[in-house]
Amino acid sequence: MADTTETPKPAPVLRSRPLSESLLNEKWDACLASMATRSALGLSFGVVFSVLLFKRRAWPAWVGLGFGAGRAWEECDNSFKRASAPNRDGLRVLRP
Amino acid sequence: MLRAPLLRSRGIATGALKARTTSQWHPVQRRYLADGKRADETLIPGTGSSKAPNDIPPPPILQTSPVSPSNVPLENIPKSPPSPETTGSIASVPPKTSSPTPVPPTGTGTATVAPPAGNEPTPPSPIPKKKSRRFRTFLLTLLILSGLGYAGGVYYSLISDNFHDFFTEYIPYGEDAVAYFEDREFRKRFPSKPVTTKHHEQVKGENKVTIPSHSGLAPRVATSDRKTDLGAAAPHLSAVEEGKQKADTAAGDPKIAEPSKKITAVEQAKESAKPEEKSSSHELLPKSSLPQTETPKVEEKKVEEAKPAPPPAPLIDNLEIPQAEEPVVQDIVKVLNNIITVINADNASGKYSLTISQAKESLSKILTDVSALKSAAQKEAEDKIHNSHMEFDNAAKELVRRLEVEMKDQENHWREEYESEREKLAKSYQEKVAAEIEAANKIYEQKLKNQLLEQSIQLQRNFTDSIRDRVETERSGRLSKLSELQSEVEELERLTGEWNRIVDANLKTQYIHVAVEGVKSALEHADRPTPFIKELVALKEIASDDPVINAAIASIHPSAYQRGIPTTAQLIDRFRRVATEVRKASLLPEDAGVASHAASLLLSKVMFKKKGLPVGDDVESVLTRTEVLLEEGNLDDAAREMNSLTGWARTLSRDWVAECRKVLEVKQALDVIATEARLQSLLVD
Repeated sequence: MADTTETPKPAPVLRSRPLSESLLNEKWDACLASMATRSALGLSFGVVFSVLLFKRRAWPAWVGLGFGAGRAWEECDNSFKRASAPNRDGLRVLRP
Repeated sequence: MLRAPLLRSRGIATGALKARTTSQWHPVQRRYLADGKRADETLIPGTGSSKAPNDIPPPPILQTSPVSPSNVPLENIPKSPPSPETTGSIASVPPKTSSPTPVPPTGTGTATVAPPAGNEPTPPSPIPKKKSRRFRTFLLTLLILSGLGYAGGVYYSLISDNFHDFFTEYIPYGEDAVAYFEDREFRKRFPSKPVTTKHHEQVKGENKVTIPSHSGLAPRVATSDRKTDLGAAAPHLSAVEEGKQKADTAAGDPKIAEPSKKITAVEQAKESAKPEEKSSSHELLPKSSLPQTETPKVEEKKVEEAKPAPPPAPLIDNLEIPQAEEPVVQDIVKVLNNIITVINADNASGKYSLTISQAKESLSKILTDVSALKSAAQKEAEDKIHNSHMEFDNAAKELVRRLEVEMKDQENHWREEYESEREKLAKSYQEKVAAEIEAANKIYEQKLKNQLLEQSIQLQRNFTDSIRDRVETERSGRLSKLSELQSEVEELERLTGEWNRIVDANLKTQYIHVAVEGVKSALEHADRPTPFIKELVALKEIASDDPVINAAIASIHPSAYQRGIPTTAQLIDRFRRVATEVRKASLLPEDAGVASHAASLLLSKVMFKKKGLPVGDDVESVLTRTEVLLEEGNLDDAAREMNSLTGWARTLSRDWVAECRKVLEVKQALDVIATEARLQSLLVD
């Protein structure tokens, strides 16, 4: 009986895994951030082009903004769509 | 860029002008040579200038910028040719003044026929010549290159072994070439060493050694000469002849002959000599005493008879001797009678009658003498015989007497010996018998003693046996009670042992109860997740031999007792947070994008909240039911409800469900352990 003296194991290092209920919020955060940065980038490109090439017309700026926002939207959409399905990274998919 | 086509078209347009310019700028403007103008087409500057612009249309772009040829450098002239008007002016202007470069002097109309400059690259006439030369040069270079390559290959093969192998293998005559160079090198290195070739003698032309065809060993058919030898006289057929010869040789020179042969020779000589000796000695041997003695007499008589002359007429009577019994005498008488008959036949009885009568008389006398001699001899022999008889009788008697005496002596002697021997034997036998009797007596006594001892031992044994029996009976009688006592004591010990075991088991179950209670209290009284590993270790130590408890402890997730499990209050608190999040995602379709997410987020704000225990599988009702169950304290059912969610709602509530499961596992394990402890305490009796 004395041989079963168990020394308590040291607690394993806590992984910084996000809580499951905050998954969606994190995704929203990332989406908004990317939306903002990409829209700003597109807008700035549009402005530059309008100044350089198109005699300060307004539409190149809007087009740039649209490009940036659209890219961000697409990325966001992808991330939302892929997240609900279980992650299959590193798994081999067997197709019939 | 744009000028290129213009230039081209202009070049076509200004044919005449071009001709002139070519005549003028011949050494520089090489591209016009390709036009291949013949001699008859050439235009004389004076006449052609007026003709050329008529059939050629003017160039499309006629720039106003006047180009003075004196200003333009020579290189630019073909790029921007002058307009027809200017060309005309140029043509009128003598070219010598316009061109500062050393241009060969061109007379009128000798523009293209002018001799070409020294640096003209390809005159048209030597082209066929050059073709043949090119072929020749090609051959030459090929030859030189191949020679160089071959030489290089040979050289490199002298250096590199690997290349040497390749070269000698695949290049024709490569081996010979390399071998020649290697040989040269070798000779250079060892000049003193004479080169030995295979055909040394023949090459130098020395006298050849001719070996005759019949020299050496030659085969020969075996002949049968030896057979004849076997038939000839030889020692293997007869050793006698050889011995004779040998004897002769031995007699001739005995020194030469070998000793053994000498001996044989001598023996053979002896043998050969024997028959002669025999023959001589045979004759010497006396065949019979009587005839020998008689024959000389007869011969004498014959001589005597022959001596006298034969008697004449009167016939002589034949001799008749009646008493002649002996054969010798009869023979003599017969001989005499024969003589007489012969004489009678010759009729010489007269001559020989006297002698015959004398002979008859002498014969009768001899006869009487012989008879007398006979009788005398007989008498003497008889006497002798008698005497010898007497002697023999005496000797025999003496001998018999002596023998008898000796036998008596012998008998006496034997008898004495016999007596003494018998006595000796008797004595020895008696001694033996006495000794044997003694030994037998001794053995018998010993046997008796042994028997006595055995009897005594037997008696003693019987005595001890009887004593032992007595003692045993005594012991079994009195000491048997002791064993009964012992068995009773053992029984008592067993009973106490059992009771001890029962007490131990009871104690153990008690300990288990205490430990389980300790774990439970540790879990219940914690206001935040605390590790309960110590309590669990104590429990495991107490119940280490119980498989059920061990399995129950093993079923608990390690993270549960290492980090602790959340309390009920914590679970409920977290559920509320999770529920708001899940509600946000409650209206999402199957594969939702950003728009649907945003819509769900917005619309979930304006949804009504349910109360109580609603029926339905939608997210809102599930959440409401879970909340109610949690408030009731039914953690198990609450976890089941949440586990029934799907999609995003399930993903969001995954952590909470896992925590619930952990708590439930711990609770279940503790329940199992408590039940087991109770069972143990019940099983003890």
